[in-house]
Amino acid sequence: MTDYIASHSKSGHQFIPRMFQGFPEIKEALMSNKMQAGFMVAPMAIALRAQGVPIKIVYLGHRYGSAVVVAKNGPIRTFGDLRGRTIAIPSRYSDERLIIFKALAQNGMSARDIRMVEMAPPDVAGALAAGAIDAFSMGEPYPAQAEMAGFGRVLFNARQYWPDYISCVLVVRQDVIDQRPEAVQVLVDGIARSGLWLDNPPRRQVRRIHAADFVGRYYYRQDPRLLRWALTKPLDRVLYQPLSPARKDFELIVSLMRSTGVLDRPIAFEEYVDTRFAEGAKHETEWRYEPGDATAQ
Amino acid sequence: MLGAISWLVFITGAHMLLNVDWNVLLNDRLPFAKRKLNVAFIPVT
Repeated sequence: MTDYIASHSKSGHQFIPRMFQGFPEIKEALMSNKMQAGFMVAPMAIALRAQGVPIKIVYLGHRYGSAVVVAKNGPIRTFGDLRGRTIAIPSRYSDERLIIFKALAQNGMSARDIRMVEMAPPDVAGALAAGAIDAFSMGEPYPAQAEMAGFGRVLFNARQYWPDYISCVLVVRQDVIDQRPEAVQVLVDGIARSGLWLDNPPRRQVRRIHAADFVGRYYYRQDPRLLRWALTKPLDRVLYQPLSPARKDFELIVSLMRSTGVLDRPIAFEEYVDTRFAEGAKHETEWRYEPGDATAQ
Repeated sequence: MLGAISWLVFITGAHMLLNVDWNVLLNDRLPFAKRKLNVAFIPVT
C-alpha cells in the first residue's frame, strides 16, 4: 500500500516490493541478501536473531488480523471440540501457533490434545474446504477467504485470547540499518503514514475499500473483494496503528516461544528490536491522498 | 531457417518483456548506496 501511494507522490517508488508465498522463503532471501527488508511473523524474526542472523525488527506490519477458522457446517463449535483434530499453522515460528497454545491453556488442554501441521498460508482455505484439515490459524485474508466462499467460520479471533496481538513485523538487515539508516527511515515513515491513512476514523471505510482494490489487483494478485471483506467486516478486524514495537508485547512473545520449545535461550528486547525508526516516525501524518486522486503528498 | 530464427527472437523478446522484472534487475546493478531496498512480503494483511 505504501508503495502504491508513494508512487503517486513526488518521491515516486521508494523501494521495490517483492511477493513471496511463504515465510521460510523470505527468511532465505533475507539471509542471502536478495531482500534487504521483509515482513515476517514476529517469532520467526526473534528466532533468526537468536540464531545470529543479522536482522532487526524495526516496525509492525499491522495489529490483530489473525483467526482460527473451522468448517462452517462442521462439528466444531467450541475450542474444546478441537480435541484430536488437525490445525494448520503458517510456521512453528508464528504467532498463529502461539495463539493456539494460549487457547489450549485457557481451556485446560495441552499440545498433546491436538495436531498442528505447518502449511503455506495460500493453501489453508483449500485444505479446509477439502477436509484435509479441521481448522487453521492464519492471518487475513485467509479467514476471510473461507468465510466469503461459504465453507469457513471464524471460531475465534486472536484478540479474544491475546488482547494486544501482533503478527507480522518489518525486519531489516543489520548492514542496511548501519549503512543506510535514512532509507530504512523512509520505509518506516511510509508505513506509518499508510497506517494513519487507513485508520482515519471518518474516512476509514472508503479508504479501506480503495486500498483493497489496488492492493488486491496490483500487489497480492487476489480478487479485491477478498481484501475488502478482510478490511471491512468489521472495520477493526485488522488495525494499522499503533505500529511501534512495544517491549511488553515482544517479551510476551519471547516468553511463549520459550515455554513452547521454539526458543532455546533468553534474548533481550534490544538484541532483536531497533526502536529508533519507530521513534523517528512518531510525528508522521497520514498520506494526503484520496481515492481517485492523481497525486499524493 | 529464417522462420526458426524469427521464432527464437520473438519468443526471447516476449520472455524478456513479460517475465523479466527490469526494475529489479537494473536496481540490483546499482551501487549499494543508491539501490532501492527490496522488501519481501507475503499476501497476508
